[in-house]
Amino acid sequence: MNDSTELATRESRTDVASRESAQPAKQLARIAPAVDIFEDSHGITLYADLPGVPREKLNVRVQDGSLNIEAEAMVPSPSGLRLQHDEMRHPHFWRAFTVSLDFDVSRIDAQLRDGVLKLTIPRHQEAKPRRIEVSVG
Amino acid sequence: MSDLFFSTDLLGEFERLHRQIASAFAGFPASLRAMRSGTFPSVNIGSTDDSIEIVAFAPGLDPAAIDVSIDKGVLAISGERKPPGPEADDETRVYARERFMSAFRRAIELPPHANPDKVSACYVNGCLTVSVGLSEASKPRAIAVQ
Repeated sequence: MNDSTELATRESRTDVASRESAQPAKQLARIAPAVDIFEDSHGITLYADLPGVPREKLNVRVQDGSLNIEAEAMVPSPSGLRLQHDEMRHPHFWRAFTVSLDFDVSRIDAQLRDGVLKLTIPRHQEAKPRRIEVSVG
Repeated sequence: MSDLFFSTDLLGEFERLHRQIASAFAGFPASLRAMRSGTFPSVNIGSTDDSIEIVAFAPGLDPAAIDVSIDKGVLAISGERKPPGPEADDETRVYARERFMSAFRRAIELPPHANPDKVSACYVNGCLTVSVGLSEASKPRAIAVQ
Protein backbone atom coordinates (compact mmCIF):
# COMPACT_ATOMS: atom_id res chain seq x y z
CA MET A 1 0.00 0.00 0.00
CA ASN A 2 2.72 2.35 1.00
CA ASP A 3 4.82 1.43 -1.98
CA SER A 4 2.09 2.05 -4.48
CA THR A 5 1.35 5.56 -3.21
CA GLU A 6 5.00 6.44 -3.39
CA LEU A 7 5.17 5.12 -6.90
CA ALA A 8 2.20 7.23 -7.83
CA THR A 9 3.63 10.45 -6.44
CA ARG A 10 6.98 9.82 -8.02
CA GLU A 11 5.31 9.27 -11.34
CA SER A 12 3.38 12.49 -11.16
CA ARG A 13 6.52 14.36 -10.16
CA THR A 14 8.46 13.22 -13.19
CA ASP A 15 5.44 14.11 -15.24
CA VAL A 16 5.46 17.70 -14.00
CA ALA A 17 9.19 18.02 -14.53
CA SER A 18 9.08 16.77 -18.06
CA ARG A 19 6.14 18.98 -18.87
CA GLU A 20 7.96 22.02 -17.51
CA SER A 21 11.04 21.32 -19.55
CA ALA A 22 8.99 20.66 -22.65
CA GLN A 23 6.79 23.73 -22.38
CA PRO A 24 9.15 26.64 -23.15
CA ALA A 25 10.17 25.19 -26.50
CA LYS A 26 6.56 24.57 -27.37
CA GLN A 27 5.33 28.00 -26.31
CA LEU A 28 7.78 29.81 -28.60
CA ALA A 29 5.94 28.50 -31.58
CA ARG A 30 2.48 29.81 -30.75
CA ILE A 31 0.74 32.83 -32.12
CA ALA A 32 -2.23 34.69 -30.73
CA PRO A 33 -5.11 34.53 -33.21
CA ALA A 34 -6.92 37.73 -34.19
CA VAL A 35 -10.28 38.00 -32.46
CA ASP A 36 -13.46 40.06 -32.55
CA ILE A 37 -15.41 40.29 -29.31
CA PHE A 38 -18.88 41.73 -28.97
CA GLU A 39 -21.26 41.92 -26.07
CA ASP A 40 -24.97 42.40 -26.23
CA SER A 41 -27.81 41.79 -23.79
CA HIS A 42 -27.76 38.03 -24.43
CA GLY A 43 -24.08 37.50 -23.84
CA ILE A 44 -20.71 37.57 -25.48
CA THR A 45 -19.88 36.58 -29.01
CA LEU A 46 -16.26 35.89 -29.88
CA TYR A 47 -14.89 35.24 -33.33
CA ALA A 48 -11.34 33.93 -33.72
CA ASP A 49 -9.41 33.43 -36.95
CA LEU A 50 -7.96 29.94 -36.98
CA PRO A 51 -7.09 29.24 -40.61
CA GLY A 52 -6.34 25.63 -41.46
CA VAL A 53 -7.54 24.27 -38.14
CA PRO A 54 -9.66 21.12 -38.36
CA ARG A 55 -12.24 20.41 -35.66
CA GLU A 56 -10.18 17.68 -33.99
CA LYS A 57 -7.19 20.01 -33.55
CA LEU A 58 -9.17 22.70 -31.76
CA ASN A 59 -9.27 22.70 -28.01
CA VAL A 60 -11.50 25.18 -26.16
CA ARG A 61 -11.27 24.92 -22.40
CA VAL A 62 -12.83 26.80 -19.52
CA GLN A 63 -11.18 26.55 -16.17
CA ASP A 64 -11.42 28.84 -13.14
CA GLY A 65 -13.00 31.63 -15.11
CA SER A 66 -10.37 31.50 -17.81
CA LEU A 67 -11.21 30.61 -21.38
CA ASN A 68 -8.40 28.96 -23.32
CA ILE A 69 -8.34 28.53 -27.06
CA GLU A 70 -5.66 26.22 -28.38
CA ALA A 71 -5.42 25.04 -31.94
CA GLU A 72 -3.08 23.68 -34.54
CA ALA A 73 -3.38 24.21 -38.26
CA MET A 74 -3.05 21.20 -40.51
CA VAL A 75 -2.43 21.95 -44.14
CA PRO A 76 -2.11 18.92 -46.41
CA SER A 77 1.03 19.22 -48.48
CA PRO A 78 2.52 16.89 -51.05
CA SER A 79 5.64 14.97 -50.14
CA GLY A 80 8.96 16.51 -51.08
CA LEU A 81 7.69 20.05 -50.61
CA ARG A 82 10.40 22.66 -50.22
CA LEU A 83 9.12 25.78 -48.50
CA GLN A 84 10.33 28.93 -50.21
CA HIS A 85 8.36 31.71 -48.61
CA ASP A 86 6.46 31.57 -45.36
CA GLU A 87 4.42 34.23 -43.69
CA MET A 88 2.65 31.74 -41.43
CA ARG A 89 5.62 30.15 -39.76
CA HIS A 90 4.16 28.48 -36.72
CA PRO A 91 0.66 27.23 -37.25
CA HIS A 92 0.02 26.86 -33.53
CA PHE A 93 -2.56 29.15 -31.99
CA TRP A 94 -3.07 29.91 -28.37
CA ARG A 95 -4.96 32.63 -26.56
CA ALA A 96 -6.58 32.94 -23.18
CA PHE A 97 -9.31 35.23 -21.89
CA THR A 98 -10.77 35.90 -18.49
CA VAL A 99 -14.52 35.43 -18.34
CA SER A 100 -16.57 37.38 -15.84
CA LEU A 101 -18.75 35.45 -13.42
CA ASP A 102 -21.79 37.11 -15.02
CA PHE A 103 -21.51 34.66 -17.88
CA ASP A 104 -22.63 31.09 -17.88
CA VAL A 105 -19.57 29.15 -18.98
CA SER A 106 -21.48 25.87 -18.80
CA ARG A 107 -23.58 26.92 -21.79
CA ILE A 108 -20.85 28.03 -24.19
CA ASP A 109 -21.62 27.24 -27.77
CA ALA A 110 -18.65 26.76 -30.11
CA GLN A 111 -18.80 26.50 -33.87
CA LEU A 112 -15.85 26.13 -36.21
CA ARG A 113 -16.53 26.95 -39.83
CA ASP A 114 -14.02 27.67 -42.59
CA GLY A 115 -11.29 28.40 -40.10
CA VAL A 116 -13.33 30.82 -38.00
CA LEU A 117 -14.30 29.88 -34.46
CA LYS A 118 -17.50 31.42 -33.17
CA LEU A 119 -18.06 31.23 -29.43
CA THR A 120 -21.23 32.41 -27.78
CA ILE A 121 -21.23 32.72 -24.03
CA PRO A 122 -24.68 33.51 -22.63
CA ARG A 123 -25.25 35.71 -19.65
CA HIS A 124 -26.57 34.20 -16.46
CA GLN A 125 -30.30 34.75 -16.28
CA GLU A 126 -29.99 36.90 -13.15
CA ALA A 127 -27.22 38.99 -14.71
CA LYS A 128 -29.27 40.05 -17.74
CA PRO A 129 -29.98 43.74 -17.85
CA ARG A 130 -33.57 44.43 -16.91
CA ARG A 131 -35.78 47.34 -16.29
CA ILE A 132 -37.03 47.82 -12.81
CA GLU A 133 -40.57 49.00 -12.50
CA VAL A 134 -40.99 51.84 -10.10
CA SER A 135 -44.17 51.57 -8.17
CA VAL A 136 -45.81 54.66 -6.95
CA GLY A 137 -46.63 54.23 -3.29
CA MET B 1 4.99 29.37 -9.79
CA SER B 2 6.70 31.29 -12.52
CA ASP B 3 4.02 29.90 -14.78
CA LEU B 4 1.54 32.09 -12.95
CA PHE B 5 3.23 35.25 -14.18
CA PHE B 6 4.34 34.05 -17.57
CA SER B 7 1.37 31.97 -18.55
CA THR B 8 0.60 34.38 -21.34
CA ASP B 9 2.55 33.58 -24.44
CA LEU B 10 4.90 36.54 -24.72
CA LEU B 11 5.99 36.02 -28.29
CA GLY B 12 2.44 35.48 -29.39
CA GLU B 13 1.43 38.72 -27.70
CA PHE B 14 4.31 40.60 -29.34
CA GLU B 15 3.19 39.22 -32.65
CA ARG B 16 -0.33 40.49 -32.03
CA LEU B 17 0.95 43.91 -30.94
CA HIS B 18 3.11 44.09 -34.03
CA ARG B 19 0.10 43.26 -36.16
CA GLN B 20 -1.97 45.97 -34.50
CA ILE B 21 0.72 48.59 -35.03
CA ALA B 22 1.21 47.46 -38.60
CA SER B 23 -2.50 47.75 -39.30
CA ALA B 24 -2.55 51.25 -37.78
CA PHE B 25 0.06 52.32 -40.33
CA ALA B 26 -1.42 50.23 -43.11
CA GLY B 27 -1.69 53.13 -45.54
CA PHE B 28 2.02 53.89 -45.54
CA PRO B 29 4.54 52.21 -47.78
CA ALA B 30 6.48 49.61 -45.85
CA SER B 31 9.73 48.89 -47.56
CA LEU B 32 11.25 48.23 -50.94
CA ARG B 33 10.27 44.61 -50.58
CA ALA B 34 6.60 45.61 -50.62
CA MET B 35 5.72 42.83 -48.19
CA ARG B 36 3.95 44.28 -45.25
CA SER B 37 3.29 42.24 -42.20
CA GLY B 38 -0.38 42.20 -41.46
CA THR B 39 -1.21 41.56 -45.07
CA PHE B 40 -4.28 39.47 -45.57
CA PRO B 41 -4.17 36.62 -46.32
CA SER B 42 -0.82 35.24 -45.16
CA VAL B 43 0.72 33.17 -47.89
CA ASN B 44 3.14 30.26 -47.78
CA ILE B 45 4.80 29.16 -50.98
CA GLY B 46 6.61 25.91 -51.61
CA SER B 47 7.51 23.77 -54.54
CA THR B 48 7.90 20.13 -55.38
CA ASP B 49 9.51 18.54 -58.41
CA ASP B 50 6.35 18.91 -60.47
CA SER B 51 4.29 21.68 -58.95
CA ILE B 52 4.27 24.96 -57.06
CA GLU B 53 2.09 24.91 -53.97
CA ILE B 54 0.64 28.14 -52.62
CA VAL B 55 -1.33 28.21 -49.38
CA ALA B 56 -3.29 31.32 -48.46
CA PHE B 57 -4.51 31.46 -44.86
CA ALA B 58 -7.84 33.13 -45.49
CA PRO B 59 -10.43 32.02 -42.94
CA GLY B 60 -14.13 32.79 -43.09
CA LEU B 61 -14.58 33.36 -46.80
CA ASP B 62 -17.31 32.16 -49.10
CA PRO B 63 -15.45 29.79 -51.49
CA ALA B 64 -17.60 30.99 -54.38
CA ALA B 65 -16.49 34.58 -53.79
CA ILE B 66 -12.75 33.90 -53.93
CA ASP B 67 -11.30 34.95 -57.23
CA VAL B 68 -8.15 33.12 -58.36
CA SER B 69 -6.70 34.13 -61.69
CA ILE B 70 -3.49 33.82 -63.67
CA ASP B 71 -2.60 36.58 -66.05
CA LYS B 72 0.79 36.92 -67.73
CA GLY B 73 2.50 34.71 -65.20
CA VAL B 74 1.03 36.46 -62.18
CA LEU B 75 -1.28 34.54 -59.91
CA ALA B 76 -3.78 36.78 -58.18
CA ILE B 77 -6.00 35.87 -55.26
CA SER B 78 -8.69 38.39 -54.47
CA GLY B 79 -11.97 38.66 -52.64
CA GLU B 80 -13.68 40.45 -49.87
CA ARG B 81 -14.11 39.55 -46.26
CA LYS B 82 -17.40 40.65 -44.78
CA PRO B 83 -18.25 40.71 -41.09
CA PRO B 84 -20.61 37.86 -40.21
CA GLY B 85 -23.94 38.29 -38.51
CA PRO B 86 -26.06 41.36 -37.98
CA GLU B 87 -24.55 44.81 -37.73
CA ALA B 88 -23.67 46.07 -34.31
CA ASP B 89 -26.35 48.32 -32.87
CA ASP B 90 -26.30 50.71 -29.93
CA GLU B 91 -26.80 47.91 -27.46
CA THR B 92 -23.71 46.06 -28.61
CA ARG B 93 -20.39 46.78 -27.02
CA VAL B 94 -17.27 46.03 -28.99
CA TYR B 95 -14.29 44.83 -26.97
CA ALA B 96 -11.99 43.75 -29.76
CA ARG B 97 -11.97 44.14 -33.50
CA GLU B 98 -8.71 42.67 -34.68
CA ARG B 99 -9.82 40.53 -37.58
CA PHE B 100 -9.23 41.78 -41.08
CA MET B 101 -12.47 42.93 -42.73
CA SER B 102 -12.18 44.41 -46.17
CA ALA B 103 -11.45 43.65 -49.77
CA PHE B 104 -8.09 42.05 -50.41
CA ARG B 105 -5.87 41.13 -53.29
CA ARG B 106 -2.55 39.36 -53.36
CA ALA B 107 -0.45 38.76 -56.43
CA ILE B 108 2.31 36.20 -56.75
CA GLU B 109 4.66 36.11 -59.68
CA LEU B 110 5.07 32.60 -60.99
CA PRO B 111 8.34 31.34 -62.43
CA PRO B 112 8.51 31.12 -66.22
CA HIS B 113 8.31 27.34 -66.22
CA ALA B 114 4.91 27.31 -64.47
CA ASN B 115 2.14 25.89 -66.58
CA PRO B 116 -0.96 28.15 -66.34
CA ASP B 117 -3.11 25.39 -67.82
CA LYS B 118 -2.49 23.06 -64.90
CA VAL B 119 -3.91 24.91 -61.92
CA SER B 120 -6.13 23.57 -59.21
CA ALA B 121 -7.45 25.36 -56.15
CA CYS B 122 -9.35 24.14 -53.13
CA TYR B 123 -10.63 25.79 -49.99
CA VAL B 124 -10.55 23.67 -46.83
CA ASN B 125 -10.85 24.86 -43.22
CA GLY B 126 -10.23 28.45 -44.22
CA CYS B 127 -7.09 27.67 -46.21
CA LEU B 128 -6.93 28.19 -49.92
CA THR B 129 -4.47 25.82 -51.56
CA VAL B 130 -3.47 26.57 -55.12
CA SER B 131 -1.37 24.05 -56.98
CA VAL B 132 0.29 25.16 -60.20
CA GLY B 133 1.86 22.48 -62.37
CA LEU B 134 5.25 22.93 -63.97
CA SER B 135 5.80 22.44 -67.67
CA GLU B 136 7.27 19.11 -68.68
CA ALA B 137 10.48 20.60 -69.99
CA SER B 138 11.51 21.95 -66.60
CA LYS B 139 11.19 18.72 -64.65
CA PRO B 140 14.44 17.29 -63.36
CA ARG B 141 15.58 14.41 -65.51
CA ALA B 142 18.66 12.30 -65.84
CA ILE B 143 20.54 12.61 -69.08
CA ALA B 144 21.90 9.39 -70.45
CA VAL B 145 25.58 9.50 -71.30
CA GLN B 146 26.36 8.00 -74.67
